[in-house]
Amino acid sequence: MKALVIVGHGSHLNEDSSLPVYEHAERIRQTGEYDEVVECFWKEEPSMRHVLDMVESDDVYVVPAFISEGYFTQQVIPRELGLAGPITHKGDKTIRYAGPLGTYEGMADVILERTDDLMRGKETSGRTALVLLGHGTDLNKNSSGVIYWNAGRIRERGVYDLVEVGFLDQEPEIGEVVTSVEAENVILIPVFIAEGWHTRETIPEDLGLSGEVTEREDRTIFYGAPVGPHPSMAALISARAREMEEKFVHGAR
Amino acid sequence: MSTAPVKRTSIPNVAAESRAAFAAWVDAHPDGRHFGQVLIRPESSGGYRLCHAEDEGATGLQLYENPRAAREIAKLTGDGEYRPLKSAPNLRRGWALLAADAGDLVTAMNGLYPSAVVHWYLYREGSLDITNYRENAARQSGIYKRVQRLTDQGVQNAAKACCEDAVCLKKTLWDVDEEIPLEMNRGEGEIPCPEPCSVFVSFARRVRLFERENKRDLDAIGLSPSEKEDLSALVEAAATGEVVMAREAEFEKPLNERRMRYRRLTLIPKLRPPVANE
Repeated sequence: MKALVIVGHGSHLNEDSSLPVYEHAERIRQTGEYDEVVECFWKEEPSMRHVLDMVESDDVYVVPAFISEGYFTQQVIPRELGLAGPITHKGDKTIRYAGPLGTYEGMADVILERTDDLMRGKETSGRTALVLLGHGTDLNKNSSGVIYWNAGRIRERGVYDLVEVGFLDQEPEIGEVVTSVEAENVILIPVFIAEGWHTRETIPEDLGLSGEVTEREDRTIFYGAPVGPHPSMAALISARAREMEEKFVHGAR
Repeated sequence: MSTAPVKRTSIPNVAAESRAAFAAWVDAHPDGRHFGQVLIRPESSGGYRLCHAEDEGATGLQLYENPRAAREIAKLTGDGEYRPLKSAPNLRRGWALLAADAGDLVTAMNGLYPSAVVHWYLYREGSLDITNYRENAARQSGIYKRVQRLTDQGVQNAAKACCEDAVCLKKTLWDVDEEIPLEMNRGEGEIPCPEPCSVFVSFARRVRLFERENKRDLDAIGLSPSEKEDLSALVEAAATGEVVMAREAEFEKPLNERRMRYRRLTLIPKLRPPVANE
């Protein structure tokens, strides 16, 4: 039997934080690709500490529902799940640990799908810039690296006149980017895993956004939903696990 | 990275074993079993019916047939507040859930009380690994690293404030460390608690901040800034005629129930020193 374990951050305060993980798990469950699809969290139950005892399958694929490689994916998740590396044997179980979602090649496509959802039926004239919004932190350069990396991938496709990045907690600061980017249309997509305090409150407030579309004197700002809850992320999670399977199961033959 | 020690390997598939054992435990009691706040009754059809224990015999309950609906049932209290800890005694009423078989029963139970069935089983089999507070604290990092410095008395008070049946129905099995048992009333419920949970660690962090404050910042009558903040908030709230409590895990706010329970243990003795018996 084969199981997929999706690891989310979860929250003690925000009931919506874990919702994308549950929704993606249900989508993957419906595909029948796995005998079991189980969710676990850092801040919610079931915890990472106990989830493996709840899995009946011997082949276990663990995919972190996190955007970037960093503190959680490299330190907290392996520690709490008791993982020794990409492959861990525990009793009869073989646990394969995949990388985060933001660094996966399909991520750029999900961002563009999110952008298409936002811009469907909206008319624009003049130059259009896509701005990817990341949390960022001065403590870990991988946090911003994944945003730059995806911006680069999208830039190569030439769909938008400009593709820029902006952050909440590091330079370049998002407010500055949105104001100064040389375009009449600014599409702002938060590269976040879930809706929450930042996407609903701090970002609209700090940028003076009035909803999905905000008219300023010299530009129109289109504010999209975060990438994480997009239904296509479920396929990305599956693909991440499948990649591990191809690399370590079939590749090993 | 090194592999974490795995102490227990005797039960090969605990998930499958626990499912069968739990179903058999319920089947053995046609009148139903209580587990947390839930009543589980075997149906003559072979399935199971779950409802809030206080809704036994109630009519007009909202009926669910998908075991995954259990997670939605467990998400909010009757007042619509988010429940970060599913073993808190605030499961909402007014629902009944039909589980078709043992697999659905455990899926539903994992929605209501995540990982409780497997812990229940391992505890009965004498195979549940217990992680004491110090062991748990030792692996914390980032903003939680400071819980390593929480004093033994701090752990005792935090556990009394955060884990007793009034706020969590799990039976607390862990101790401060191998030498120092918890003094709290551990509870008599069916759900074992083998390790401090993330809500407890978050609370322990808050208590550690109170401890640090105690050393440096006491005023002339021995009150700390946060104690005065809490007292002020209480007076102001009570003066309006309605004390609106902070959310369950909002430990930074004065009017949090667990925070107030901690104050009852540590502040009340300061305000009302015990009168010496003649």
